[in-house]
Amino acid sequence: MAEPVSEQMIRVTINGEVYEREVEARRLLVHFLRDVLDLTGTHVGCDTGNCGACTVLLDGRSVKSCMVLAIQADGAQVTTVEGLAADGELTPLQRAFSRFHALQCGYCTPGMLISATYLLEQNPHPTEEEIRRGIQGNICRCTGYVNIVEAIKAAAEGQV
Amino acid sequence: MLLRQVEYARPETVDEAVRLLASRDDARALAGGQSLINVMKTRVASPELVVDLNRIGEMRGIAVGADGSLAVGAMATYADVIASPEVRSRRPILAEVAATIADVQVRNRGTIGGNLCVSDPTNHLPPVALAQGWSMTIRALASERTVGAEEFFQGVYVTAVAPGELLTRVTVPALRAREGDGWAALTLGRDGTGIVNVAATVFEGQARIAIGCVAAVPVVLTATADEVSVRQAVRRAALDPPSDVHASGEYRRHVAEVLAARAVARALERAEG
Amino acid sequence: MSETHAVTERADELQIGYAGTSVPRKEDRRLVRGEGTFADDVKRHGMGYVHFVRSPYAHARIVSVDVSAAEALEGVYGTLTPAEVEELTDPFFELTTPPGSRIRDYALAVGKVRHVGEPVVAVVAETRELARDAADLVEIEYEPLPVLVDARRAQDEDAPILHEDAGTNVVWSGVFDWGDVDGALKAADRVVKIRELHFDRFSSTPLECSVALVEYDRGTEQFTIHANHQMPGVAAIWMGPALRVPLDRLRFVSQDIGGGFGNKITTHTYLTACCLLARKLRRPIQWTEWRTDQHSANAHGNERWFSDIEVAVMNDGTMLGFKVTALDDCGAFPRYEPLGCIIWAQVTPGLYRWRNIRVDFTQVVTNKSPVAPNRGYSRMQQLWLTERIVDIVAHELGLDPVEVRKRNYVRADEMPYTTPNGCVYDSGDYARCLDMALELIDYERVKEQRGERDGKLVGIGIGSTLDSGTNNFGQSTLLNPELQFSGNNEVATIKLDIFGEIVLTLGTVPQGQGHETTAAMVAADILGCSPDDVHVRAGHDSYWNSHAGFSGTYASQFAVSGLEAVKGATEKLALEIRRLAAAVLGAASPDEIVLEGKQARLKDNPEAALPFMACGAIVNANNAVLPPDARDITLNCRFVYVPPFELPDKERKYGNLTLTYATQIHACVVEIDRDTGEVEIVDYAAVDDCGVRIHPQIVEGQVHGATAHGLGAALHETFAYDEDGQLLTANFYEYHVPHALDMPPIRTGYIESPSPFSSLGTKGMGEGGGAAIHAVCAAIQDALRSAGIGSVVSDSHNPAERVWRLITNPEESSALVEVVST
Repeated sequence: MAEPVSEQMIRVTINGEVYEREVEARRLLVHFLRDVLDLTGTHVGCDTGNCGACTVLLDGRSVKSCMVLAIQADGAQVTTVEGLAADGELTPLQRAFSRFHALQCGYCTPGMLISATYLLEQNPHPTEEEIRRGIQGNICRCTGYVNIVEAIKAAAEGQV
Repeated sequence: MLLRQVEYARPETVDEAVRLLASRDDARALAGGQSLINVMKTRVASPELVVDLNRIGEMRGIAVGADGSLAVGAMATYADVIASPEVRSRRPILAEVAATIADVQVRNRGTIGGNLCVSDPTNHLPPVALAQGWSMTIRALASERTVGAEEFFQGVYVTAVAPGELLTRVTVPALRAREGDGWAALTLGRDGTGIVNVAATVFEGQARIAIGCVAAVPVVLTATADEVSVRQAVRRAALDPPSDVHASGEYRRHVAEVLAARAVARALERAEG
Repeated sequence: MSETHAVTERADELQIGYAGTSVPRKEDRRLVRGEGTFADDVKRHGMGYVHFVRSPYAHARIVSVDVSAAEALEGVYGTLTPAEVEELTDPFFELTTPPGSRIRDYALAVGKVRHVGEPVVAVVAETRELARDAADLVEIEYEPLPVLVDARRAQDEDAPILHEDAGTNVVWSGVFDWGDVDGALKAADRVVKIRELHFDRFSSTPLECSVALVEYDRGTEQFTIHANHQMPGVAAIWMGPALRVPLDRLRFVSQDIGGGFGNKITTHTYLTACCLLARKLRRPIQWTEWRTDQHSANAHGNERWFSDIEVAVMNDGTMLGFKVTALDDCGAFPRYEPLGCIIWAQVTPGLYRWRNIRVDFTQVVTNKSPVAPNRGYSRMQQLWLTERIVDIVAHELGLDPVEVRKRNYVRADEMPYTTPNGCVYDSGDYARCLDMALELIDYERVKEQRGERDGKLVGIGIGSTLDSGTNNFGQSTLLNPELQFSGNNEVATIKLDIFGEIVLTLGTVPQGQGHETTAAMVAADILGCSPDDVHVRAGHDSYWNSHAGFSGTYASQFAVSGLEAVKGATEKLALEIRRLAAAVLGAASPDEIVLEGKQARLKDNPEAALPFMACGAIVNANNAVLPPDARDITLNCRFVYVPPFELPDKERKYGNLTLTYATQIHACVVEIDRDTGEVEIVDYAAVDDCGVRIHPQIVEGQVHGATAHGLGAALHETFAYDEDGQLLTANFYEYHVPHALDMPPIRTGYIESPSPFSSLGTKGMGEGGGAAIHAVCAAIQDALRSAGIGSVVSDSHNPAERVWRLITNPEESSALVEVVST
């Protein structure tokens, strides 16, 4: 794609499924997921890339999908919260979040789960400081992060 | 939050990228997007064309030169730098400072080149580049040149990279014997935006200090590496920092002095250690 | 990390069963999968996206509006202008007395703009991006006017007047005078005078912004409003008359809400604009507020100045009373105000026994974002005042703030305690909670470390607060005798369906507080089944007819009003099931029937049992088998809980304004960097007493969240304006909220002093009282005083620079305080 385009047909694999859609170059990945593909689990919480509610995995790395253009995801693999529970079976992190009351309103939860999933993939036995650093890019206004940290710890230690 | 219409191109080589950047008056390089896309959301700047650099392999990678210097591709992400064994063993402060930039998601996308080229007064890497004496390699359509850090940073959002040009690589000098780096910052919350930040490099008892957040570009001073001398040097520099909602100029001036002393003390510890 | 120090103190052994256990939350199943339905997830075919064109000026006359270029853009469906709004709607109902009541508040700015971000024009287009593009084409000409940002200047002779119809910037003003303050000041050994304290402007900034998707059915003239509004009944009361439609034409629907904290109560202006657009453009209208919009134009917490404070104290630290002039800044439009002018009176004396209090209270408008009942609404400000007074008094008199508190706290044996203005503190043991908090931070050891060591200043602070829950809306008549509001209510409906399914419908509008789960637990305990057997409908829908005028989730009341409604409805259902079973099984009376394992069986004969499924089937499909006196059984029971309130005394401004009072006592240890003023919280304890805890984990979660909000406000969060009325912290980049690394370790503890005023013994506790703010202020002042620095913490918000100034310039703040011996 070395020549400039203002819109393009893109092909993205999301949670293992291939989607082909025409997108405007200016469309943010988060809006593509939510408005075009109806994958509304990924949320928008701010307009400056600070809150992390939009966090997804892009080619295996956690990123804020409000700071990626959908067109940049052409040919990429994306994992959203909807793709965590394979065949409906909740992951240890999802179970831990519920067990330890790591969610109240649930709005930050999808992004938080993606960040936590990425953290444990990179660092299976994080210290508390490392856990906090791992979710530093995800704002929660309900829980004070207390139970989120406990839940991630428990999942890492195989307690769920 | 919603961008204006824009054109998008995704070259695979530096040559293609430079050709595209030079093809329009208002073309911008899209590196990590952690700054540019936010700016485009506000519509304060709406480039006509964004040139996505993320597929250009030759701009990634971290290599070690014969003299022990680090050649860091401009598209190396903060995460790449933090994980790099070469960086961690040869100039660890770079990895340590990069690890305090925002958060994991930002560090997975944000790049060294982007941090330098944005030249925001609160950015982390310009003071580090100035304290350590990095050099930046800039490619234009028909040429390539290398520019020292002092020449590179020219103003708020202004660097030596002219329209139609591209920063491809930075060279981080090797740490010499009896040389050490230090960093001190006061931020808006942990790992937040800088209110004052200071990078210092001490070599044989002499400090080179770069103070960020206090002027359009970091202020560079030298001093003997002891607290009194450092504080005197900062006061003599007669800083005139901006006042904003986070801090007054007066407070920034005071904190610059305090943090310069701390950064130098930490650098000295590493130089002697 | 959190360690729960479990000290169980129940006055009597209450339920066996699920109450008191932390069952898995029903809500989690969908939320951890990303399968919640938040308002922005709702879509309708052909919907148009709204973008509001907002004022760049804090105060300006609107000279002209031209939408022609915007409407000409391909993909634009239409617009809404102030002229249309003025023609098609009536101004929103104002709660205050004249002349403030003459303020005209519309869905869009009519004639003038009064704060940056105020919506002036709405544009609707096929995509979000197009609506945004079209907004750039709307041409609005403004004539800037002088700006008022300091509430203390609002009554100056030359102050710009925001609302010409009112002719004044004063929304409400009045004097509250209880006991004999002048007598107390004379009788005191000392009078401590504090010139000025400032409770700063911030808010809870829920992560999900406001959203609405409005559909209009032309045939039935019915609006369906999918919106994340916390108090839909109140929204309807504003919107119906404004839109000139009957209230039932406004159906509110919501399912999952991403936090409210009071910030989703005054969005009726936007919802009204969307209703007008849905009707005009003949298509569903979708509006999503951006973060910048939320910060600049909906909504802030009340900012309050306390001045000319005089406190009567005895040498031994007994506090007799105080007087204060309070000035509240409600931003450009009152809306839910002036209720903030009375709601603080629920906690007039704080936790203390002084009987002589006088408050001169005035509320003014300024060219800033309007306020909404932010978490801790109005009580937090009053409690901060009393806590500041206690610490300042203690430090000035050379007394220990812990001892002064204990000397002056209302005692457990005085409960229920009637305050000087007639509120009744139901139960609690403040001294006990304080001891627990101190124990949790290892006070005996840490207090030796106070003062300066290695460049750090160490201090300990206490924040003691009350979370008053379940309002008596009659308090509004103390502000405006013409208002016809009093009491409170909440509704629940429960039915047994034809296949024996138990279906519970709430009237509340939860935003993460776990209502589905807690309600199911209460119902399960009454029906003798498991919470898994109780299906609770998620969210809120006016069509369920399971709500009343005051329904919603706000003001710390669910644990009382919501659960009392659930209990009432379920008890009705339980009785009907037992009556039915008695009739079918041939028992003499329903008392012979017990409910267990989803069956109704004879107490003395377990074999004689009627499954719930059979009950449902009989009533719904086979009722001819029933004897005549059992045919009134419907197994579909609606209950309205009405708390036992009376009308307050308007003359004396006296009466019980709230039903329950939960206690929060927080203790905080800080280390301050002497050179930079940076504050680090090295230990933190939160002890709460909210009576009986139905779901302890949910309760503790609220404690954590309230603490985080308080810490954010204390150290990081402020809505700061420049002199032109431009908001400087309009997004999450500038307005820093606590992230995971910003939070200190939090130790929690609790006791349970059941409320005598709720049948379950519960107390509402969702807001907390802002205790973290008070504790941090106290700790900062303690650290300074312990290091010999005589500063006074006079602002609720203390970022590093402010603390640095307290350290380097103690004279400035210490000059605010004067101690006079009498």
